[in-house]
Amino acid sequence: MKRTVVFIVVAAGLMLGGVAVWVGAQAVTESEKVRYDRESRYYRVRVVDYLDEGRRCLHFSRSRGIQSSMILADPTQLDLRYSRTMMAALALHPAPKDVLLVGLGGASIPRFMNRHWPEIRLDVVEIDADVVTVCRHWFELKGAPGLRVIVMDGRMYLKRSRKAYDVILLDAYATDRIPFHMTTLEFVQLARSRLKAGGILVSNLWEPTANRFYRAELKTFQTAFPQTYRFEAGTSGNIVVFSALDPNPTTKAAWVARAKALAGDRDLKFDLPQLVADEYEVLTGRRINAEPLTDDMAPVDTLRREHPKHFETAGTGG
Amino acid sequence: MRFGLLMTVFLAGASLMSLEMASFRLIQPEFGSDIIVWGSLISVFLGGLAVGAVFGGRLADRGPRLWRLGAILVLAGGVTLALPLYSDAVLDWMFPGEGAPLPAEWGTGGDSHELVVYQPPDLRWATLGAGTILFGLPALLLGTVTPYTARLFIHALGKVGTGVGHLYGASTVGSILGTLGTAFYLVAWMGTRWLLASNGLLLVGLGLVLAVADVLGAKPDPEPVS
Repeated sequence: MKRTVVFIVVAAGLMLGGVAVWVGAQAVTESEKVRYDRESRYYRVRVVDYLDEGRRCLHFSRSRGIQSSMILADPTQLDLRYSRTMMAALALHPAPKDVLLVGLGGASIPRFMNRHWPEIRLDVVEIDADVVTVCRHWFELKGAPGLRVIVMDGRMYLKRSRKAYDVILLDAYATDRIPFHMTTLEFVQLARSRLKAGGILVSNLWEPTANRFYRAELKTFQTAFPQTYRFEAGTSGNIVVFSALDPNPTTKAAWVARAKALAGDRDLKFDLPQLVADEYEVLTGRRINAEPLTDDMAPVDTLRREHPKHFETAGTGG
Repeated sequence: MRFGLLMTVFLAGASLMSLEMASFRLIQPEFGSDIIVWGSLISVFLGGLAVGAVFGGRLADRGPRLWRLGAILVLAGGVTLALPLYSDAVLDWMFPGEGAPLPAEWGTGGDSHELVVYQPPDLRWATLGAGTILFGLPALLLGTVTPYTARLFIHALGKVGTGVGHLYGASTVGSILGTLGTAFYLVAWMGTRWLLASNGLLLVGLGLVLAVADVLGAKPDPEPVS
């Protein structure tokens, strides 16, 4: 008898719990609408609309880590903080004509650039064909004169193609997945060899914990280029490294002035000159206590786990 | 002596998987991290093991000698040591797309409003080819070790099951430790080239130990299984 009572109580409790979870899930789906959720060759690609925020986000796993974000009412606006910072590259170069983007994500940079500077030719290399398809259906990636999408590994493309660019934007690191062959000195030197005179290489790093990988990666860019700059993209945890072939340093004032000229009277929806003024930081010549990564020695995952106790930021010298 | 033979298959198994992990690191910079690359390399190693097992078994039945097993291991180690000398040349040679239309020559995006998308090259055969040239021979040589050792290890027909079981157990435990040790520690400690070199030195050393043991008169030779 007692057992029966206990059984009924437990069963009722489980059922109530189940109902509560179901109701909770319903509540979540009211503000979130999953538009697309499929395994691709490389990721689990998810497109989720966050109705309260009016945003559509691209995720590459079950986690909420955001690869890209689009404001539904204003798709050409750059929503993620680091993508705005990366656009400072177009002001560091005096007159960019040919730009390469490695890593399509949710196509926010192609939308933005096509809206404001349609005359700049843009090649995009994306490893995952499904991401390109998803961008066409859900992220308003449309054909435009001078826009080409190449489905290929970024490093393989750079090796195969002999095309030279004014600016190369590297945005190929997913937060939980960094392809080691696109972190090494050999790779950075390959990218440098695909830059025209005065070209710029820009890389987005998401390393909020300032681990050993982050330090080694800064050192790698610093080793390969005469001038390097490090922008902290607000409080987003993203670091954007600008590496320039021009042996002469660019001052903050010059960069801000060029950003003003680049923006002109365009409504970029953010203040690019102010961003440059706020985030400008010279990396050239600063002491970084690390070795550059090489094809032979790039234990990226191991280095990302290691957080030295006495961490020195990118050096103390000026 | 039996413990020595178990250690031999254990170390050969560890080295084989360590080489397989190293092969991923060696090829990824040129061929990317596609699942095609992983699948190709795993197949190359399994293919090498299969062919090696057949040869190793036949060789063993022609008169098993400890020094011959040692010689096979020295050869496997030697090939592994030499690998970094020609790996770059092989990868460059097998790299797909030389002569194929390069994106710079594919024209501009054009004036159409269709999105211009270029599809990737077919990597399958190039990866399989590069993997076979680089790692087929070491995998084949290491594949001969377990069947050859079985002939030295098993002394009575009634003990074949037990003997083969022990050898495969030791070899597979070695493979697990080789895989984990390489993935968790060695790649970060020594890098790819030193990893290859260390495996080469380990195999050469192991082979020499077996040869010396033979000379010193170790008697693993079983009575003929009748």
